Amino acid sequence: MVTITLADLRYRYRQFLIAVIGAGVVLAMAILLSGLADGFRSEIHRTVGAVGADRWVLSQQSNGRITAVATFDQAAVAQVASAPGVTRANGVVFLPQEVFHVGARLVTVNVMGVEPGGLGVPAVRKGVTLTGPGQVVVDSRAGIGRGAAVRLGGTDLRVVGTVTDRTLAAGIPMAYMTLSDAQSTLFGGRQIVTAVVTKGSPQSAPAGLEVLTSREVERQTLETLASGVSSIRNSRTLMWVVAAIIIAALIYVSALQRVRDFAVLKALGSSSLLLFGSLCLQSVIITLLAAALGTGMSTFMTGIFSQPVTVPTSAYTTLPIVAVAVGLIASLVALRRATGADPAAAFAG
Amino acid sequence: MTTLAVRDLTVEYVTGGYRMRPLEDLAFSAEDGQLVVLLGPSGCGKTTLLSCLAGLLTPTAGSIRVDDVEVTGLRGAPRSDYRRNTVGVVFQAFNLIPSLTALGNVMVPLRLAGNGRSAARERARELLEQVDLTDRADHRPGQLSGGQQQRVAIARALAQDPPLVIADEPTAHLDSLQVEGILRLIRDIASAGRLVVVATHDHRITQLADQVVELVRHRAEPPAEPVTVHLDAGELVFGQGDRSDLVYVVRAGGVRIFRERADGTEEHLTDIGVGGYFGELGPLLDLPRSASARATAPTELVGLGAQQFRARFHRS
Repeated sequence: MVTITLADLRYRYRQFLIAVIGAGVVLAMAILLSGLADGFRSEIHRTVGAVGADRWVLSQQSNGRITAVATFDQAAVAQVASAPGVTRANGVVFLPQEVFHVGARLVTVNVMGVEPGGLGVPAVRKGVTLTGPGQVVVDSRAGIGRGAAVRLGGTDLRVVGTVTDRTLAAGIPMAYMTLSDAQSTLFGGRQIVTAVVTKGSPQSAPAGLEVLTSREVERQTLETLASGVSSIRNSRTLMWVVAAIIIAALIYVSALQRVRDFAVLKALGSSSLLLFGSLCLQSVIITLLAAALGTGMSTFMTGIFSQPVTVPTSAYTTLPIVAVAVGLIASLVALRRATGADPAAAFAG
Repeated sequence: MTTLAVRDLTVEYVTGGYRMRPLEDLAFSAEDGQLVVLLGPSGCGKTTLLSCLAGLLTPTAGSIRVDDVEVTGLRGAPRSDYRRNTVGVVFQAFNLIPSLTALGNVMVPLRLAGNGRSAARERARELLEQVDLTDRADHRPGQLSGGQQQRVAIARALAQDPPLVIADEPTAHLDSLQVEGILRLIRDIASAGRLVVVATHDHRITQLADQVVELVRHRAEPPAEPVTVHLDAGELVFGQGDRSDLVYVVRAGGVRIFRERADGTEEHLTDIGVGGYFGELGPLLDLPRSASARATAPTELVGLGAQQFRARFHRS
C-alpha cells in the first residue's frame, strides 16, 4: 500500500505540489508568528541584559516595567550605592518612543540616558563608545550612520557608534546618550532618573522604590505587550488550522478521485483500514513536505518584518510533530470515502 | 478440480424507492476447465451475478459453492481471503490503478496477499510475459491501448493463480482486432485447475464457451389467436418484474396500473378503462414488467402477442 500511496503522489504531483506550496506558505507564516511572539520577549531580554545590572531599583509606581516613565530623585542613586551588598550603582533614564530629527527624516527611538563609564553604557559594534555630552549611540535598525547629526528636542547630538539587537516595544531601536543630556533634553534639566542599576544586590530600597532582578524587569515589561503576544499566538494557531484545511481539502479531493481505485483495491482484497492508512500516509507526507518548505521559507521571510523575529528552536522541533498531527486530522475528512467504498462499484463500467 | 454450483440465487435490492430483483431463482453449475458464458442484455443481472461470485455482494437468497466453500456465507477475514486467493476478477472498464505501471498493477493482489516485493515482482513479470506484455511492463495504463490494459487486468486476475476467474464484459471497450486477442487469452486460461465465468452480451464469445447460461428466459411462443382472460375484482393481471408475454386490451371492467414501493405501499400510475390497452412495452422490447396491473372490477381482457398487438393497433 505504501507503493500505491507513493505512486499516487508521483502521479498527481501537480495538485499535491500546489497543496504543499499553499500549506508551506501558511506554515512559514505560523513559524514567523512564533518568531514574532518570541521576538517581544527576546528583544527585552537582550536590551535589559545588555545593561549588565544585577538588580534594578525602580519606582513602585512603575510596576517593575522599565518602559513606564516613573521618575524619582537622582539622590536615590547615592542611597542605593551606599546600601549593603551594592558594589556599584548608576542612575539611568528610560524614555520610550522619542523622536529623532535626522535631517528631514523622523526616527522613533527609545532613549536611554546612562552615566559614561557606568552600567548601561552599550558595547558598540561600530564606532566608539559613549564618553560625553553631545554623543549618541544608536541601534543599527534606526538606519542612522556614524557621524550623523540628530536633534532630540532642542539638543543636537552626533552619532558616535552603533549597536545591534538593542530594541524594545516591537523593534523600536534604542538610542543611548549621557544621563545629563537625557535629563536636560527630556526633563528640563531636572535631576531625576527612572531607574538605578546596580552591581551587587541591595538588601533594601529607599522609600517608594523597589528592588527587582533583571528577569523580573523583563517579565514585567513583557506584561505590557501580553495582549499583542497573545493575539499573535492565536493567529499562529489559526495558521495551523488553515494549513490543516488546505491539506484536508486536497486529501478529500484526492479521495474523491480515487473512489474507483478504493473499490478495486477492496475487490482485490484490501481492507478499509489499509486504505485509510494509505490516505493518512499521503496526508502526513504532504504536511511534512509543507513543514519543510515552510521552515525554509521562514528563514528568508524574516526580513519582511521590521520588528525582531526570533524563532524559538522549539518551533522547529515541534513542527514535524504538529505536522503529523495536522496530517492525520486532515485525513479524517476522507475517512468515510476510504472505508465506505463499495467493492462492487468496481464492476461499474 | 474446481467446481461451481449456483442454486436458487435471488438478489433483491431497493433503488429509487422501488424493489428490484435482477436475479431470481438462478441455478447453474460448471466444472473444472470450463469457460462459462453468462449471456444476456444490459440490466439482466449479469454484473450482479458476478459480484456475488466475486464475494462482493451478498445475495438475498440461494447458494454459491466454489468447491467446498459456501461463498454466500463468508464474512470478514474469510471473505477477504476468498477475494484474494480464490477468485480473480477482470472488470469491464479494466479498472487498473492509473498511478501504477502495468507491473505495479499486477503486483497489487500479490502484495495484498502478503508476498514479498521481489517475489511479487518476479511473479508479475511472469504473468505479463504470459499475456505478451513484457515490453510494456513499465508503462502506466494511460500509455497502454484498451487491449493491452485488458491484458494487464487479466494478468492481475491471475496473480494468485485463482481457481475461479470472472470477467465482466471483457470485450466491451475493445476494437475487433483487440477482441480477438482477448478472446483467445480468455479461452486459454480456462484450463485444468481453473474455471472461467464471463458475463457478456457479445454473442461471439458463445462460440468459444463450454457452457452458456442465458440470464433472460426465452419467451413462450405467443398464442396463435388472442386469448380471453376473466378476472375478479382485486385479482392481479401481472406483477412488477414478471416476464412479459402479452399486451392486454380491456373489453369489460377496468384495470389499475401501479408500482410497488420498497416500503410495501403502492404508487398509483393510471387506470385503464374499456377499450384501452396496457402492458405493451414489455413484450415489444423484451423487458420484464415495470409495474403491476390489478382488476378493479370483474374484468374481461383480451391478451395479444406482440405481433398481434402491432397488427391491430399500429398498422392503421
